[in-house]
Amino acid sequence: MTDNNFVLTISDLRFKYADRYRRSSFELVVDEFAPKPSVCTAVMGENGSGKTTLGKLVAGILRPASGCIFYNGVDISDLKLGEIGRQVGYLFQEPSRQIFASKPLDEIAFPLELRGIDKEEARTRAKKLLDEFELSHIINNTTFTLSRGEKQRLAIAAAMIVNPKYFVLDEPTTGLDKQRRKILAKTLKKMQENGMGILLISHDMEFVEAMEAEIRTMKGGRLLDANKS
Amino acid sequence: MQTRVKPDPRVIFALVFGTSSFAIIIREDVVAVLGLLVLTLTFAMMLGVKLGRLFKRLKRLWQVLILVTLLRSFFAPSGIVLLALWDVPLLTTGGLAIGLLVSLRLIIFIIGASMFTVYPARGLIQAMVQMKMPYEIAYMVSIGLRFVPLFAEQLRDSLTALQLRGVVIEELKLRKRLSIYTYLLLPAIVSGLQQAKELAMSMEMRAFRAMPKRTSYFKLHFSKWDALMLFGVVALCAVIGYAVFNYNFYEVIMMEILEVYY
Repeated sequence: MTDNNFVLTISDLRFKYADRYRRSSFELVVDEFAPKPSVCTAVMGENGSGKTTLGKLVAGILRPASGCIFYNGVDISDLKLGEIGRQVGYLFQEPSRQIFASKPLDEIAFPLELRGIDKEEARTRAKKLLDEFELSHIINNTTFTLSRGEKQRLAIAAAMIVNPKYFVLDEPTTGLDKQRRKILAKTLKKMQENGMGILLISHDMEFVEAMEAEIRTMKGGRLLDANKS
Repeated sequence: MQTRVKPDPRVIFALVFGTSSFAIIIREDVVAVLGLLVLTLTFAMMLGVKLGRLFKRLKRLWQVLILVTLLRSFFAPSGIVLLALWDVPLLTTGGLAIGLLVSLRLIIFIIGASMFTVYPARGLIQAMVQMKMPYEIAYMVSIGLRFVPLFAEQLRDSLTALQLRGVVIEELKLRKRLSIYTYLLLPAIVSGLQQAKELAMSMEMRAFRAMPKRTSYFKLHFSKWDALMLFGVVALCAVIGYAVFNYNFYEVIMMEILEVYY
């Protein structure tokens, strides 16, 4: 296993949704969470227990009301989302929500171009990544016509282009057949071996077992202690 | 404390139609539009619209105001020059007035639309049907209104996804930033259309339009109080119409200012 120097630490985290989301009674509480580097942690729990909220907080999409999230000891509250995105990847529960381009190649290459990488170079890298994720056959399709499984793989591939050190995946196996789940588990394991840590939000026990993940449970907005999980 | 008066939705349709029409008709009189805004705000408060939340969302209108003001002052200077670089006017009272006019118009439209949010969708559809609008169109309008936040959410998610790929939007140059918005717009529209198509299919599966005419137990009753308010709205529109076609409040105020200064 490659040595990974990325350490995620959460302490005394509190989060509440604004009233307009009509979830004002919900409060997420995480007293302490510090997964080991390069380890896959699976967060499981009932619907509405706060798993997705925790994932979004870790990825900086939501900001805590109090408490801190640290990447390698650096508090992320002052970081811009783009700066966070260079370290932590995120896969949305619904892949169509994060696919913004009309062509698969643009989906991967456009953010690179925005970051100042030469257009040809960005496209070459994007093609290579599509190859790795067995998506070369859809290169000329529009993203709107892709199947859910293809969208899922494209979204993961697109997130991987920045080589994140940590990856949050929200229900990655929804809509994938058994074969695709195996391929996804294999791909993620490979990334993990390359040193990437994973936060896996899932109900799919078989997939969690395949990932050899450390299981943590959420209940009513609280992340239970490891021994209670 | 806000007083909540909830008239028949048809009264609100008339009111919003009146205020929005005047906001378009009034061409240059920024003072008259400001008066119209005060009126619209008063009605929205009486209806119980949460104005604080609405204004929080309108924060970015300042950027529109500043941009229009500068462009207008630079390309079509009029009135008193407030700021100039050598002989080139950068800010004029005319430019400022037009910038204000555009922003005030937008605010009036948005507040007008927000007045409908205090009614349930069913009440709005019934109001349109009872105004002899075909049911399908009334239903489409109501669904269309619900698609606006979905569309905004889609754009927000796309922007979030883009930032999560390491793009710091705040650091990009204006040209690149603009290219992002044009890039994201098409997929957001297509996604909206796809959702609309799925919704239409789901409704047809539940026998929507299976019968030529849709009947309803729910009926809106136009009370005397509603009639009185409708009369009030029409009378108010007549007064506003008379005032804006016969007076130019902006010119009157500017003349006063000019007399004081020169």
